[in-house]
Amino acid sequence: MDFAATTEGTRQGIERRSEHENLETDSISRQVRETTAAIDSADLVVGILGGVDHDGFTGICDGLRTLAGSPRVAVLQAEAATGQPISGAGTDGGPSLFFMSWPNADTAGAATVSIAAAYHSVFMAAEQLQTRACCVFSSQIEGTKPAWIGQFAQGLLENEADLVLAHYARHKFEGLLNVSIISPLMRSLYGKRIQNPMGPDLGTSQRLFRPVLTAEEKNGGGGVHALATLAPSAVCGNLRVREMYCGPRVYRPTDWTNVSSLLSAVLTPVFLEMERNAACWQRVRGSAPVPVAGERAWVSQDSEKLDVQRMVESFQLGNRELQEIWSLVLPPTTLLELRKLLRLTPEEFHMNDALWARIVYDFALAHRLRSISRDHLIRSMTPLYLGWAASYAREVQDAGPLDVEQRNERLAAAYESAKPYLLSRWRWPDRFSP
Amino acid sequence: MWLQIKLALEQSTTRFLTHFAGLLPGLVAFLLAIIVSIVIAIVLAFLVRRLLKSLQFEEHLSQWGLSSMAEWSPMNRPTLLVSRSIALLVIVIGFVIGIAAFDAQWTAALAQTVLAYIPNIIGATLVLLVGAIVARFLGRSVLIGAVNMNLQYARLLSVGVKWMVIVLAVAMALDHLRIAQGIVELAFGILFGGIVLCLSLAVGLGSKDIVTKSLERDARRSSSEVYEDPLRHL
Repeated sequence: MDFAATTEGTRQGIERRSEHENLETDSISRQVRETTAAIDSADLVVGILGGVDHDGFTGICDGLRTLAGSPRVAVLQAEAATGQPISGAGTDGGPSLFFMSWPNADTAGAATVSIAAAYHSVFMAAEQLQTRACCVFSSQIEGTKPAWIGQFAQGLLENEADLVLAHYARHKFEGLLNVSIISPLMRSLYGKRIQNPMGPDLGTSQRLFRPVLTAEEKNGGGGVHALATLAPSAVCGNLRVREMYCGPRVYRPTDWTNVSSLLSAVLTPVFLEMERNAACWQRVRGSAPVPVAGERAWVSQDSEKLDVQRMVESFQLGNRELQEIWSLVLPPTTLLELRKLLRLTPEEFHMNDALWARIVYDFALAHRLRSISRDHLIRSMTPLYLGWAASYAREVQDAGPLDVEQRNERLAAAYESAKPYLLSRWRWPDRFSP
Repeated sequence: MWLQIKLALEQSTTRFLTHFAGLLPGLVAFLLAIIVSIVIAIVLAFLVRRLLKSLQFEEHLSQWGLSSMAEWSPMNRPTLLVSRSIALLVIVIGFVIGIAAFDAQWTAALAQTVLAYIPNIIGATLVLLVGAIVARFLGRSVLIGAVNMNLQYARLLSVGVKWMVIVLAVAMALDHLRIAQGIVELAFGILFGGIVLCLSLAVGLGSKDIVTKSLERDARRSSSEVYEDPLRHL
């Protein structure tokens, strides 16, 4: 250890810390301050949340040790990731890793609201330690090589990107919420083709996490969701966004009794962000791909025959019983098209991409106008989402990887084609209201 | 004797006519007050209708989620409801003024009773308003929740919850208005108790097999879906 460098680092850390004392207002702030007091500063903060198991944690640490130069890396670990906390460690030569047990990172099985709080706490630690960049790893990625982790963080440290997102090798039936709504919506609105705009595995530079943190604190955390705001903030702020190919992600099993809660927790911040950035996305036309690094991996798309009957039944039940609520959100033409779908059997069930895109836009607009309670609004969208999922699952049942890519591309194109419809309704809601 | 009968009749007629003559000015004043109040009510109702129309009252009501007020309104127009309510109020005031023309004591007693009753009316109105809003909100919550749980009787549940809240609100409002309190309490108790008892018997006896099958189906579904269903949403 170089004592002179440590002393200088201590002095600089104290000076920087005093400038930011006014940022600490809540219990997370207090916890961040107490836990990061162990080290003075760092070049990179890496948060490893509860979704990562012990092997994944080891792989990430090995990857961080491949970073070029001698960066100081603060690793915030959930206790679940390692079984027990490891405190204070450094290596001679190369990157110095400092491990800190991070209770806010233990999100295994937690609701998405607490996941947002975990990201917020990691960003706060990065701000406290005045780091140049911050990475968060939240999911178990199969076949993750240390070099991938190194590349992921290196781009941020070398100021080559402001937001790095993982581009997973994905099975056709995985990440349906992202495939159906989040990714094509973000693409259509902000003009960037990002596979997973909401991560969850991502890296940001100081230029991005600092304003996001400030916005969260300014709003008192109300409605500003770390994951939902990163990609839009990066694009609207003309920051550099990049993706990295990585292996398949391990997804949690579906809880069919809780799909509406999941929709509510995920779509509410997305729609709020849409409202917040209206001035930005209304000027965007078309879309462009973002640079992608790494080597693309593919997963086998084979799967057993999927029974879509239950999802079709959910859609039909919603179509019969929720017309009164949907009529407050959707125009008559859309309602008519939905009623036509009632006559289709599960074997021939198909929801048009243009119809689905317009439905999502209508719900986003209704969310802004508060036509009904926002929670009721998003939850009433559940049968429509299950209907889309059934239609999609039926179409891609026997499709290969390239066919699935093309299918998703068609959906994204439908969102872009329907953007003028969104713009008209957004700007003149009274004229086009149902 | 006939003379005495004639005298008694003459005296009673005189008393009646004297009394009636005494009441006549009051009666005329009463009728005049009613007529004037009706005229004022008509004019005021017309002005209120014009004002509410210019303020787009009905459109704002539907934005505030109170579009069900249209269902209670004559010709589905809340504007008419408000204007006619104001007109009725003016006529009632005219009636009270007319009553005062007969006897000031009657008016004082009536005014005291009416004024003492106004807080009850306001309280009952608030209870009904809040009850309507809560009923609508809960009904909608139950409907959406039941549909998302794939319950075929979602609408029945929703309507049941909505009407239970409305009945509760009406019973509370009637209690507040001190209208047939004993009867309302008893009827409400019998109604709610009866509903709960019926539901218990239906589930416990009549629907036992259906509930068992439904629970078994859900248990099979939740255990099989976790491990076999390849769909992943997030």
